[in-house]
Amino acid sequence: MKNIFKTLILILTVGLFVSSCHDELNQSPIDPDSFTEEDVFATASAAKGALAKLYSSLALTGQSGPAGDPDIADIDEGFSQFSRMLYNLNELTTDHAVVGWGDPGLQDLHGMYWSGSNDFSEAMYYRLAQEVSFCNSFILNASNLTDPEVATYIAEARFLRAYAYYNLMDMFGNVPLTEEISTELPEQSTRAEIFAFVESELLAIETALLDSNEYGRVDKVAAQAMLSRLYLNAEVWTGTPRYNDCVTYSNNVMNSSYSINMVDANGNGTAYDELFLADNDTNGAQNEFIFALNFDGTSSQTYGGTTFLVHAAIGGSMDPTDFGVNGGWAGIRTTKSLVEKFADDISIPTFTGDQRGMFHTDGQSLEIESLTSFLSGYGVTKFKNVDSNGNPGSDSGGDFTDTDIPLIRLAEIYLNYAEAVLRGGGGSTGTAVDKINELRERAYGDATGNITAGDLTLDFVLDERSRELYWEGTRRTDLIRYGYFTSGSYLWPWKGNIASGSSVDSFRNLFPLPTNLLTVNPNLTQNEGY
Amino acid sequence: MKSIFKSLLFVMFIVPSIMIAQSTVTGKVIEQSTSIPLPGVNVIIKGTATGASTDFDGNYQISANNGDVLVFSYIGFVTQEITYTGQSPINVQLAEDATQLNEIVVTGYGSVKKEDLTGSADLIKAEDFNEGPIVSPQQLIQGKIAGVTVTSGGGAPGEGQSIVIRGLGSLSLTSSPLIVVDGVPLNDGGVAGTRNPLNLINPNDIESMVVLKDASATAIYGSRAANGVIMITTKKGKDREFKFNFNSSMTFSNPTEKVDVLSADEFRTVVNSTGDAAAIGRLGIYNTNWQDLIYREEVGTDHSFSALGAAWGIPMRVSLGYSDQGGILRSDRFRRTTGSLNLSPKLFDDHLKIELNVRGMYTENKFANRGAIGSAVSFDPTQPVFNNSQYNGYFAWIDGNTGNQLNLAPTNPMALLYLTDDTAEVRRLITNAKLDYKIHGFEDLTATVNVGLDKSDSGGRTLTSDLFPTSDPTWNGSRFTYSQEATNRLFDAYATYQKEIDEKHNVNFVAGYSYQEFEFENLSFDSEKFEDGNDYKFIDKSKNVLLSYFGRLNYGFDGKYLLTATLRADASSKLNPDDRWGYFPSAAFAWNIHNEDFMGEDSVFNELKLRLGYGEVGNVNGLGDYQFLTRYTGSQSTANYQFGNSFYQTYRPQPLNDNLRWEVGRTINIGLDYSILNSRISGSVNVYKKETQDLIASALVDPFTNFGNRIDSNIGDMENKGVELAINVIPFQNEDFEWSINYNVAYNENTITKLPFDQPVGGISGGVGNTIQRHTVGEEPYSFFVYHQLYDTNGDPVEGAFADLNGDNIINEQDRYYKEDPYADITMGLNSNISFKNWDFAIVTRASIGNYAYDNVASSTAYLARATENSILTNLHSDYLSTGFAALTDANLLSDHYIQEASFFKIDNITLGYTWDNAFEGTNIRFYGSVQNVATITDYTGLDPEIIGGIDNNFYPRPRTTVLGINVDF
Repeated sequence: MKNIFKTLILILTVGLFVSSCHDELNQSPIDPDSFTEEDVFATASAAKGALAKLYSSLALTGQSGPAGDPDIADIDEGFSQFSRMLYNLNELTTDHAVVGWGDPGLQDLHGMYWSGSNDFSEAMYYRLAQEVSFCNSFILNASNLTDPEVATYIAEARFLRAYAYYNLMDMFGNVPLTEEISTELPEQSTRAEIFAFVESELLAIETALLDSNEYGRVDKVAAQAMLSRLYLNAEVWTGTPRYNDCVTYSNNVMNSSYSINMVDANGNGTAYDELFLADNDTNGAQNEFIFALNFDGTSSQTYGGTTFLVHAAIGGSMDPTDFGVNGGWAGIRTTKSLVEKFADDISIPTFTGDQRGMFHTDGQSLEIESLTSFLSGYGVTKFKNVDSNGNPGSDSGGDFTDTDIPLIRLAEIYLNYAEAVLRGGGGSTGTAVDKINELRERAYGDATGNITAGDLTLDFVLDERSRELYWEGTRRTDLIRYGYFTSGSYLWPWKGNIASGSSVDSFRNLFPLPTNLLTVNPNLTQNEGY
Repeated sequence: MKSIFKSLLFVMFIVPSIMIAQSTVTGKVIEQSTSIPLPGVNVIIKGTATGASTDFDGNYQISANNGDVLVFSYIGFVTQEITYTGQSPINVQLAEDATQLNEIVVTGYGSVKKEDLTGSADLIKAEDFNEGPIVSPQQLIQGKIAGVTVTSGGGAPGEGQSIVIRGLGSLSLTSSPLIVVDGVPLNDGGVAGTRNPLNLINPNDIESMVVLKDASATAIYGSRAANGVIMITTKKGKDREFKFNFNSSMTFSNPTEKVDVLSADEFRTVVNSTGDAAAIGRLGIYNTNWQDLIYREEVGTDHSFSALGAAWGIPMRVSLGYSDQGGILRSDRFRRTTGSLNLSPKLFDDHLKIELNVRGMYTENKFANRGAIGSAVSFDPTQPVFNNSQYNGYFAWIDGNTGNQLNLAPTNPMALLYLTDDTAEVRRLITNAKLDYKIHGFEDLTATVNVGLDKSDSGGRTLTSDLFPTSDPTWNGSRFTYSQEATNRLFDAYATYQKEIDEKHNVNFVAGYSYQEFEFENLSFDSEKFEDGNDYKFIDKSKNVLLSYFGRLNYGFDGKYLLTATLRADASSKLNPDDRWGYFPSAAFAWNIHNEDFMGEDSVFNELKLRLGYGEVGNVNGLGDYQFLTRYTGSQSTANYQFGNSFYQTYRPQPLNDNLRWEVGRTINIGLDYSILNSRISGSVNVYKKETQDLIASALVDPFTNFGNRIDSNIGDMENKGVELAINVIPFQNEDFEWSINYNVAYNENTITKLPFDQPVGGISGGVGNTIQRHTVGEEPYSFFVYHQLYDTNGDPVEGAFADLNGDNIINEQDRYYKEDPYADITMGLNSNISFKNWDFAIVTRASIGNYAYDNVASSTAYLARATENSILTNLHSDYLSTGFAALTDANLLSDHYIQEASFFKIDNITLGYTWDNAFEGTNIRFYGSVQNVATITDYTGLDPEIIGGIDNNFYPRPRTTVLGINVDF
């Protein structure tokens, strides 16, 4: 009996031990870089880190700079950065840019023969939809905090969500509209519904946003500037022109505290190039930036952003040290269609007048014989990682850049205003001429390039947009508004994959929804033509 | 976990000791043919658990009643039964068992006689292991077992090995079998700082390896056994006088194959005829064969010593091993010191068996920079190694503007090897204590507790010299350090009830509980400068727990009909509480036809057994932890975001899936084991089919509904089916001469049967983001997905010309098709051993049929533009001479021109030995020599047809290795 008793004790002991181990199944993260929802939304200051992610998901590619813990799967992490994809989809598809690399889907863009599963249009869709999910989750969780600054955070999150939807509407047209994160598959909304949502959100947060905010965060002028852009394109997206509203909101922006940078900090004769230098967050350019992406060579590293724009544009006989980096990636150049906008006789490529024409011609051919050769087409020297004193940026290795990217700057609003006036939105032609001359005086360093009201035509404004805003991510949208993107009315080298240029089917005014996603979400219907 | 040890102490202290006195029987057991006393023979009273074992001199003593039947059993010998009728002493002669049916096979939480097995399990004993320069246990069984494919990752010393049993079992989780060392299941993750986590076990310490293949055999390990189980049993102490073994060998490694690139003169011709003046001007005057320079002949040594016997009444084994192997890639080195201790005391009249194992390993690795392999293929052969550059004299392509190495230029292979220093040390300890307590007064029941600890501690560093060629203008050297601590704790408790009733019914029932936790922590530091602080600190830390209950019933009737049923319930902390528990049952039936009366006494069959088994197993091995929880990842210091003048750490919500479930595999296996003509011919045949459901793969998800565009999700189904055949033949056998042949062949077909969308896999070099393989329904996993190249009348490929397979007049993604896959349809092993008097000879060969490989070296380096692009010269793969391709496009890269059949026949090893019996008194000495990687016969034109995953790129060539050794028993 004694033995049986002892055996029972043994079994009991083991049994007790065993049941206590069941609790061990409930493990929670022990990694110091992993946080729970309770941690992140414990206080307003912790929530600011979650807000920072809403901005950084447009500037960076993941949680480990420059790469290693990506936000988006199925694409090289460096490719997945928002402004780099914006460049690929909105500049590379146009007369502004060509690229030499053979990565899957990349040559398809300038050649305008992209398929329904183009790597870059897919990744852009994923990036923007993810940004919507990030914002939706932030808005929901942050609303439990009562601190007054959190109300501002939420308004900024709504701005960023509207910005994401603005881009989805522009590029993909009909996309799901969702304001909450749920596993239920969303229904597809029409482009007009997205337009109405973006408009109502921007109008609603105009007052909730601060009059002015710290650098890198948006204020109410950003909402007004977005509205200016939205109304300028309204006819394309909804069929209803809204040029009057464009004039109104452009005016609001023009009357705000933002100003065109006139500080020629490096003394080269124009204050334009300062906008694209490593210290453009302090050299005066920041006064013109209404919404910018912030980069830093040591603390905010990515293979997209200006790291891409600076490195990829360097090749041939260009000296990387002039650009504050350690070398070139020999990728992106431009076509003669852009070059021609700066000079009537491009056989003398000096560009001494309009200093916005920043080209590298030594060893480069103007004509593009081979898309894959860096030496075909002029180089573009617009973006640099040196500051106003010529010193390189903060990354001593010369890999990553400090230069910030303006997504909306005041000069664009001037051009929106001029175009809306010409398209019958009211306003003043005189003001429009004055504003454009303000830009041209900065470009020329003096008044020699100024225009008169007689010069101000729609095509002039489009060309002026090219000169002022090339490589800043709006070209495709602008060409579509003018009916030039797919049609034969305007051709550029290798448009439609033909050296002399050719028209393409008009369905290419929209990018395809990611083909694979149609299987995942049967509610989605693919855009026509794909 | 403290409580584990408390429980252990408890078990040790409550053990009572009571004996009932009877008459005492004594006697001696000797081996029949040699009359040598046999120590350690089990003597038990039949039908009870009362037993004893013989001492050093073969003597035993046991208490018995009149009429009791004494059973004398010893592994490898025929069991004898003698009825006690008062006679004493009872002396016994045991004969060796030729049929091997009494071999004990470890099956997990117990062991059975081979004759009583119902599942598909292969036992390989130490004497049948492969010989040669083996540092990794996996290599011991390469080519020995039908359906088990062991492939080394390359030719580096101590290289990692992939083991796949019966084809891939998962798409994204691990497809490697569970490895159990003396009852301790090892973590399936890798260990930092080592090429192969299993290197901690010195092959000389291994007694046997058992491979459990079908689910009826593996289901007792439930969720961990989806890909089969390899049970490693190490050598144990024996109750006898100490014997010693010393083994020492020297290894000579020679590089054999090299990538076929243009010679310096061929390259000069290409550049002179096609390059512009600037390119021609860059040509050097040298003839440098970079591949000859980076490889070398290398000598290694291996020593091991073991002592086995009993001291102070405790059977024990102690071993020490030291191995020092250099790699053929210059500066590669692997040094390993192993030590092991086993204590196997039996207490309280053999009621308490204790087994204590401690195994420790210390390895020092020096990893040569493998970038040199690719660089040597591409580096301009007309340039010299040295040209007095600022980079310690190494030739480099200089940027005329910056004076530094050009940004896109490859780095001199010799500089890669000699200006980087990558070393690591790994300490690993696996220890377990197992207690088997046969309950006093209830001897049919044994309680077992097994407590194990597997802990590894790694540290490594990569130093790059300040003289290293780079385009970085401020380069001042770099230092990257990392460390890892991984801990795996095990607690098993189970009870075994064994009873024979009426000499007909044999019952063995096991029920138990297992708790295992896995924890790891990784740290790494990255600094800009040599030995200058630590700039960044990355931490990666995680833990998961697996908790299980299991039970197994073995029932045998009259030695003819055997039934096994098992059930295991597993819960993993990786899964959400609702889907956490998985239940994995199995059932198997076997019929020992040879024991049937109708077979007769003189049957030609020594064994004829039909087996039928069904089992279910699960898998979440390799799945990340905590995926069902909403987690936020903080940004590293290099990915913060600027507001105002401050940088903020950002928090990203992680994609989540709170519906993750177990992958479940269901296998049916029909097998036949046979042995005829006095076991001169034996073997087995197996036919199986495995259906795996709910395969976890990275699934596309609508990013409007989650925090990313992919999550791990249960989306696929897969089917494996195949046939295996093994034959062992002893064509000749007499006192002086024995010849044995082992042949095994396996056919496996692996098909994805459900997958909602194709999964691009198999990233390749050339461009960014290209993949060559795809998972898709109806094809094998990892099928190559390519364009169909068109050829001209001479049979040369036409650049850019591909078949328009869908006929839409556009060559795009839609024209890619599936062509073959990297996994063999048929694998074979053919091994033969011959012994003649004191000579022994062994040859091990393998064949693989129907496996394909993608030659990524040729596809990414055989195009003309490469020779002169980026203001430098770069060498081309010789394939250029036949293709003449001008440019690298993604269509060229993905051309089926580069997919080749890589079937092969390899002579892995030839060994010749001579044993000098009684060289000194009681001392046997064996001298042996062996050659590894003797020959490969294949049509594949790349470096080596045997490539894990089928993408051949910068492969570390397997050397040909010669070993000379001496083995002394005394």
